[in-house]
Amino acid sequence: MMSDLMFIALSLFAIGGAVAMLFYKNTMYAALGLLVSILAVAGLFALLNATFMFMVQLIVYAGAIMTLILFILMFLNIKDENLPKEPNKFKLIALGAAIMIPFNVVVLKAVANLPSKDMNIINSTFGDIKPIGQLLYNDWILAFELISILLLIALVGSIVLAKRRKKDNS
Amino acid sequence: MISLTSYAFVSMILFSIGVIGVIARRNIFVIYMSIELMLNGINLFLVTFARYHFNMDPQIVTVMVISIAAAEAAVFLSVIILLYRSKKSLDTDIFTTLTQGEKS
Repeated sequence: MMSDLMFIALSLFAIGGAVAMLFYKNTMYAALGLLVSILAVAGLFALLNATFMFMVQLIVYAGAIMTLILFILMFLNIKDENLPKEPNKFKLIALGAAIMIPFNVVVLKAVANLPSKDMNIINSTFGDIKPIGQLLYNDWILAFELISILLLIALVGSIVLAKRRKKDNS
Repeated sequence: MISLTSYAFVSMILFSIGVIGVIARRNIFVIYMSIELMLNGINLFLVTFARYHFNMDPQIVTVMVISIAAAEAAVFLSVIILLYRSKKSLDTDIFTTLTQGEKS
């Protein structure tokens, strides 16, 4: 099946990008690994019939947020001596894996007990831009307005933070 | 045959790698990107269950999560710029002392 192969390839890319982000010492390579992972997750959204989410993931995450991160990384001009030394990184990674594996097993057992349904791509308007827009502007209008206020506050806050202050020599 | 469990497996792996990144790394940028990765894993979980129950409400929640992540990106990165200008390092341990007065 075509979609099975697509799923396997996309999940390998997602997990591989995330692992690359975890292990690379250079911050730029870590950001590129995260970019690969985000693009693969966008492909998984497309396999799940969520076409609008696919577009939002590509435009907002891969387009805006990752560009912002890469821009700041290049803007700061980070040298190797500014990077922190991480002497016991692998020990801490093993500790984190030991913490997270039981949690994963519990959640996946709970999910595996659910009745199985067909998850293939179907030809319907599910996840299209029009039904999502109607749902967003009817049922979720309060959350939508609160999100817009939050974005305005974040805009003002980042401008205030990034503004160059006068040095007071006290 | 791709099932619900395989999608859940991928999203839980992504979330766990995010948590491990926050625990294990000391570079503030990598910690921020790990938080983004955790949000991505949760988004994938939500969209999977939207498809499973054939209900579009989780996709709206995912839009909300993505917009909150965008707002977080703006504020977090400007704070990182301020800290990097004053400390010239990306180590999280240096950020424990935030005073500007004393010149060491």
